[in-house]
Amino acid sequence: MTALAAEARIAWAIARKDAVSELRGRSAASMTLFFAALVLLLFGFALGPDTRKLAEAAPGLLWLAIVFAGLLAVGRLHLLETDDGALEQLALYPIDRRAIYVGKALAGFVTMLVLGAVMLPVVGIMYGVELARAWPALSVTVVLGALGFSAVGTFYAGLTVRVRAREVMLPLLLLPVTAPLLLAAVKASAAALSGDPFGELGSWLQLLAGFDLVMLLVAGASYGFLLEE
Amino acid sequence: MRDVAFVIAGYGVILGGLAIYALILGRRLRNARREASSVAEVPAERDAEQPSAPSPSRGAE
Amino acid sequence: MRTRILGFGALATVALAAMFGLFVVPADLNQGDAQRIMYVHVASAWIAYLSFIVTALAGIGWLVRRDLRFDAVALAGAEIGVIFTALAIWGGMMWARPVWGTFWQWEDPRLTTTALLLALYIGYLLLRRLSDDPRRRATRAAVVGLVAAVDIPIVHFSVIWWRGLHQAPTFGSPDRLLHPAAPMQFVAALLLMLLAVTLAWLYLMIRRYQLARLETLLEEAARLGRLRSARASVARTAPVDITAAVDAAAPQPSRSTSSAEEPAR
Repeated sequence: MTALAAEARIAWAIARKDAVSELRGRSAASMTLFFAALVLLLFGFALGPDTRKLAEAAPGLLWLAIVFAGLLAVGRLHLLETDDGALEQLALYPIDRRAIYVGKALAGFVTMLVLGAVMLPVVGIMYGVELARAWPALSVTVVLGALGFSAVGTFYAGLTVRVRAREVMLPLLLLPVTAPLLLAAVKASAAALSGDPFGELGSWLQLLAGFDLVMLLVAGASYGFLLEE
Repeated sequence: MRDVAFVIAGYGVILGGLAIYALILGRRLRNARREASSVAEVPAERDAEQPSAPSPSRGAE
Repeated sequence: MRTRILGFGALATVALAAMFGLFVVPADLNQGDAQRIMYVHVASAWIAYLSFIVTALAGIGWLVRRDLRFDAVALAGAEIGVIFTALAIWGGMMWARPVWGTFWQWEDPRLTTTALLLALYIGYLLLRRLSDDPRRRATRAAVVGLVAAVDIPIVHFSVIWWRGLHQAPTFGSPDRLLHPAAPMQFVAALLLMLLAVTLAWLYLMIRRYQLARLETLLEEAARLGRLRSARASVARTAPVDITAAVDAAAPQPSRSTSSAEEPAR
């Protein structure tokens, strides 16, 4: 029990450190948000001025924007460590590697949550989507989606941070793995927005939760191996 | 009858693709074996060919 | 030598199975001649999945035992799996066009899952190319192979729901192929092709494994060569203790000699 508590404290310390340094270098965090908004704007241009069409595609576009921006966010959280070889030092401490993973994933989770919280109203305004009724289901979807993306994203960011051409490799490896997450999150959001006429919302949320759980376990267990290198 | 074209395309590409892969693999293997045997025989000369600093590729990683 | 016999055996079986599937078995009543593609398509798809399972298991083997031979198996599985996946997708498209009327059917869980599989493992192979150190590469590849393998069932599941929660499938399903009502000849054709492709897979796996071992050997030889020449240049200019330091930095020679002695099968 005390070992677990110690681990949790370490994870918390890492997450807090990342959050603090992200907030101090305010530009980076806000740039990610700006990027997501920009993607939404460009989708608007790509799909034309027909508001009905945009509203129909809104769940997919929302999650694509979150995924693209999240890609930058999780990549950044590991890049923070490489500047002065901090990740190597972190790995040298006599602490459980899982605590490092949990800390990083927690920081990614919070970032993704902020991203989702900002993007939802933006989508509502820009694409003319009525969010008022659907917000409880939508927030659950965003929480589960953010958790799952941060679980895999942290793992792949840790993997690629010391690889050549990581800017290309991170999306290349991460995006195919997040496909079921994207599918389930989009479907759940669409069901939530349309008032769930087919009663499928629960199934998609379960799938999301299952994805989160499996990926947290597997990625968390694998992450330690990456630090031994 | 139009289907026959698809059947031929399906079988042709799948089996042909496997055959081509097997051939390429065989050639790569032969080349690697030749190179490996030359490395085993004259290691000193290979050293002379590469007077570079200790593994520059490592720094890039 | 034994591998060569296996290769010729695989070639003969593949030819036999292709002849059987193409000319002996009667055309399917519903799907016509297009059904014949199913034999080779389904067989390659199954073998592709088998390859990726082998890659994941070999990755675990490396993480546990730290023997580079496991990594060679993992590489062989991934590369051959990618080949079979690409070929299976091609076969599926050639089948779908005459039967379904489209090359691509988004709601078919097999097709969609297989396409993602291709993306996952092409990424795996690319990642391997970007690492120079064999041990580091093996670890990275092992964990990526593991996460990818875990992802496959989730993808499959999600695509089945995607279809299932919306509408019932309205197309002829490939499942009918193994329906007990099917004449035994259809089943025989599929099983024969499966055997043939499995033999070919075994042959390719062995060859790719041998190549992977040789590649590691050459890589290590090149690195040792570089280290040795560096040591020589240091020895010319510096006191002896620095030479000792470079010596200590060199990879343990025991591993390289053991792999050099391994006979090329």
